[in-house]
Amino acid sequence: MNSVGEACTDMKREYDQCFNRWFAEKFLKGNGSGDPCTDLFKRYQQCVQKAIKEKEIPIEGLEFMGHGKEKPESSS
Amino acid sequence: MKIWSSEHVFGHPWDTVIKAAMRKYPNPMNPCVVGVDVLERSVDSRGRLHSHRLLSTEWGLPGFVKAITLTNLVSVNERLVYTPHPEDPELTVLTQEAIITVKGISLGSYLESLMANTISSNARKMPHPKNQRRKKERTKEKKEGRRKGRKKEEISEP
Repeated sequence: MNSVGEACTDMKREYDQCFNRWFAEKFLKGNGSGDPCTDLFKRYQQCVQKAIKEKEIPIEGLEFMGHGKEKPESSS
Repeated sequence: MKIWSSEHVFGHPWDTVIKAAMRKYPNPMNPCVVGVDVLERSVDSRGRLHSHRLLSTEWGLPGFVKAITLTNLVSVNERLVYTPHPEDPELTVLTQEAIITVKGISLGSYLESLMANTISSNARKMPHPKNQRRKKERTKEKKEGRRKGRKKEEISEP
């Protein structure tokens, strides 16, 4: 599966692999603390945010139908 | 702008469904999704994982629409919630809500209805995790115009 930014696809796949492993082996078994993918995610995000700005895709924050987002606790 | 919501029950327990949902694309049953990105992801104070994702889609348009000048953006904001079925832990309930906006054309409301119907049927198209392949499928190039759509999806877990 590709990224919206062509240059980000490899970084996305690397992050996805890390996340899917953590998700199935840790999070779903009750151990949601300690995310080993933070660095990969940061690198991937920098690329994606740049691509989104360049393509002028509107992703401004959305309060979805009255369901506001709760403050997330840090996952690292 | 169209507000649409729907509920669907999967015949599998929550763990199985959520693993499949996270890896839903590429999906041979829905080749219109050509890109998936995670914009934000975190675990909240109640241990729930929130994922904010951007889906890039391409879909063909009916021939008669080709002649009309269009902006190239359809905006779909969706919220999906997967929960174990309250009466049977072997089942999973998906509640899906969407706001669909088509900008700059007079056929906005028609296309919004079309998209709502498509989203509704796509919610059921979950490839079995064991059968899921990473092979990319080539979609046939249609002669009518193509549009790029963007979809935002948020998955919250109990």
